[in-house]
Amino acid sequence: MKRGARSFPILAFSLCAFLMGGALAAQTPAGNAAAVGVKVPAHQRFVLPNGLTIILVPRKDVPMIAFSGFVRGGVLADPPAKPGVASLVAGLLDRGAGKRNAFEFADAVEGVGGSFNAAAGAEAISIGGQFLARDRALMIELVSDALLRPRLDPQELISYRDREIEFIKSAKDSDPSQIVGIYGRAALFGTHPYGRPQGGSERSLASINHADVLDYHSQYFGADRATLVFAGDIDPKWMKQALTKAFGGWAKARSKAPALVPAPRVTGRRVVLIDAPGSVQTYFWLGNVGVDRNYSGRPALDLMNTIYGGRFTSILNTELRIKSGLSYGATSRFTRGSVPGEFAIRSFVKTENTGKALDLTLETLERLKHDPLAPDMLESSRAYVLGQFPLQLETAAHWASTLADLEFYGLGKDYIEGYGPALAQVDLAEAAAVTADAFPRPTDLVFVLIGDAAKIREMAAKYGPVTEMQLSKPDFAPTVP
Amino acid sequence: MPKPSRACNLSVLLLSCLAPFALVSSAMAAAKPAAAPRVPGADQVKSLTLANGMKVIVWTDRDIPNVALYNWVRVGSRNEVPGITGLAHFFEHMMFNGTSKRAPGEFDRLLEAQGGSNNAYTSDDVTVYQNWIPRSALDLTFDLESDRLANLSFDPKVIESERGVVYSERRLSVEDDNAGFLYEQVQSNAFVAHTYQIPTIGWPSDIQGWTLEDLQKFFKTNYAPNNCTLILVGDVSAEEAFALAKKYLEPIPRQEPPPPVRTQEPEQLGEKRVNIERPAQTPLLYYAYKSPAANDARGPAINLLLSILVDGNASRLNRLLVEEKKLAIEVGGHFAEGFDPGLTWLMLTLPQGAKVNEVEQALDAALDEVVAKGVSEAELSRAKNLYAAGFWKQLATINGKAALLGAHEVFEGDYRKLFDSPAAYDKVTVAEVQQAAALVLAKNQRTVGVLQAPLTVPEPAPAATAPAATEAKP
Repeated sequence: MKRGARSFPILAFSLCAFLMGGALAAQTPAGNAAAVGVKVPAHQRFVLPNGLTIILVPRKDVPMIAFSGFVRGGVLADPPAKPGVASLVAGLLDRGAGKRNAFEFADAVEGVGGSFNAAAGAEAISIGGQFLARDRALMIELVSDALLRPRLDPQELISYRDREIEFIKSAKDSDPSQIVGIYGRAALFGTHPYGRPQGGSERSLASINHADVLDYHSQYFGADRATLVFAGDIDPKWMKQALTKAFGGWAKARSKAPALVPAPRVTGRRVVLIDAPGSVQTYFWLGNVGVDRNYSGRPALDLMNTIYGGRFTSILNTELRIKSGLSYGATSRFTRGSVPGEFAIRSFVKTENTGKALDLTLETLERLKHDPLAPDMLESSRAYVLGQFPLQLETAAHWASTLADLEFYGLGKDYIEGYGPALAQVDLAEAAAVTADAFPRPTDLVFVLIGDAAKIREMAAKYGPVTEMQLSKPDFAPTVP
Repeated sequence: MPKPSRACNLSVLLLSCLAPFALVSSAMAAAKPAAAPRVPGADQVKSLTLANGMKVIVWTDRDIPNVALYNWVRVGSRNEVPGITGLAHFFEHMMFNGTSKRAPGEFDRLLEAQGGSNNAYTSDDVTVYQNWIPRSALDLTFDLESDRLANLSFDPKVIESERGVVYSERRLSVEDDNAGFLYEQVQSNAFVAHTYQIPTIGWPSDIQGWTLEDLQKFFKTNYAPNNCTLILVGDVSAEEAFALAKKYLEPIPRQEPPPPVRTQEPEQLGEKRVNIERPAQTPLLYYAYKSPAANDARGPAINLLLSILVDGNASRLNRLLVEEKKLAIEVGGHFAEGFDPGLTWLMLTLPQGAKVNEVEQALDAALDEVVAKGVSEAELSRAKNLYAAGFWKQLATINGKAALLGAHEVFEGDYRKLFDSPAAYDKVTVAEVQQAAALVLAKNQRTVGVLQAPLTVPEPAPAATAPAATEAKP
């Protein structure tokens, strides 16, 4: 049993947070003069003739090498009616590749204590893992097999796909708070690629066949769409040679994923109610379209979201947990992709308190938008974000994913090194400006409620027109394109 | 309530048809365990026991300008009795809610304003308070930690509010969560006498019933400085940390240590079963076996056995039950290492419509095989390498180092065992793993838990119901 404060998504800065879990980026925290001095470690970046970008970050600490990388595409490249293709491709990369079948590949990775993960996010398939440094040659062989020579075996596809479908059912049985965001994005973004379930839905997964998977891989995989970062106990000279040999023959991709266009912000309110009969709590998500990765007000935004819903003493958590005892926790975050992702508030309360908690949540947003910010609150947030920042950039694995993230969005090292100084500059006027600009008005929100509809249906209608669906329905939206 | 944090899938090259020669030999070739490397840092760790009995352990690591400061308190739900179940965990929440010097909420407000964050967790055995701070907040953090240890006070209004928070946590992790629900039921049924039967989150009636007096008594009994161990890792020297500890913590007087947990679990003489019927799309099957305490010398062999069974896609049970037979979608497990003999868990999530008894038969056959024939050198080697990699990953962060130091000090009596840990795992033999299997996979020592949707029962004939009714308990 945890106190829970740590569930605050302060920084999800890594590529993984964005490309994998589906949280497109986020805030960045930390407080104190300490972080002002955070420096990107010395590294080498080079591009092979086929367009593959490779970054090497030597960093002796423990005898391990971490890697992180991406191939552009992801859900964005999924056929719109079949979200989940990229996710299945990602899942199949290590289920048989090169000379190894699925078991042999897993055994080769785990036999040396290594790890290899791949997952589809909104705009890319990302990979990551770690090996003991002595196994560097095997690591490169396995990573290159997975990316260049996955077998994409039809039997493996069926068993992996069918299991993914069961995992969604299992999550509905045991983890409504973990899936409310999938429903939230679907409700907010609709047919926009950010609205698609990144791992697919039960229904869409069932419709995906072998040809879909082969097609995705042949169209969107290619050296010019990819970046790989290796960090840790490495000899850059040896790595460069070995990687050039292993990846030099990777062809370019045939297609580019469709361009992303920004989704419009929502005006007014609407409610999606997901009926979970017998549930004793309501899990809610309130959101609107926020800002993108290049948002110029990023430092002020991080400070303001920290104040509003990004730390234990945030306004939201103070009202819903600390003062009222209504919930175990309440958070807010901005997910920032190549185009604006969502701003979302999340919490959960006993079914009977649903209306009370929603009203309180709306009041906090009203206060944020209209009450002047106390200067000491801004100072506290600044100290917090700066003080926590170095903890997110401690290990070789952190740096591998961070450098991949910068590469993905075309951000320079100033995104890291300039962050502390930029935080130091934020004043009340700037803070007020991003609050007005990036946070939605309480009158413009999409509500998603997972709970016992018989008990909250009437109350839900108070907040806007209600569309209802069953939790057991094999989709994440009431109507699916 | 340590819900399995790891629900890894995995499995192995089991027997028969699946392990062609080439595969086994290549696996073995690739899988030589790293010759347990020496763990650096032993000479950087310093410890001091304050006059009041509190031990302070410091590992200087200046990679980042931050410090992880943990207070390990030797109290958990193991120290509770009926009527106050869940109190150790509730108390953990209350430790942030005010002292005679500072109002409720000040702890978090002050710490965050200096750039720190915190959390805490409670298990069956311990309560651990964690602070992650920039080094500039060291003085404040010591001040705050000592204040709540010396001067904790309870505001009745805050108790009521926090009661709601904890109940919400219970709804989230147990009542609306099939996995959490079954875990609680299996654990509480596995023990007839020992307090490991108590769920750490507490039973609902106790969550609603705790009183101010319960809290005061619990504090007095368990929060003696001599029942705490302070761990600091990061950008701080031992001298600095010891000076701060002397200034802030040493003045807190030593107290009578909490009474030992007297009750021992009597020997289990047969399998127990728990059947839960709840709405569920995917059934769950859990096994929990009686197992030794954390400081048992066989611990490394048990952990390696579990790794062989459930860690990674190539582990035995994952390979067999998930990949080959498709009887489960996920297999996980862990050895719950506590002060007293506890449980070793195997946890399976089954696909919709699964016939649970068929899965049980296949799982039992696989486990019998391990007990009867043991494991291969390649499997053991793989498990040792996974252990080594996991160990190094933990050592890469100040947080991981603090967790390891604390666990070794508190559960094994000496933080220095951390540095021997790779060697202890490295020397485990296949024979010892087989012995561990015989020890922790005995059917008569287990509790089996099944959670599935209510089975459709055919309409009973009226005549058949009468005898059943008479058998009902009075």
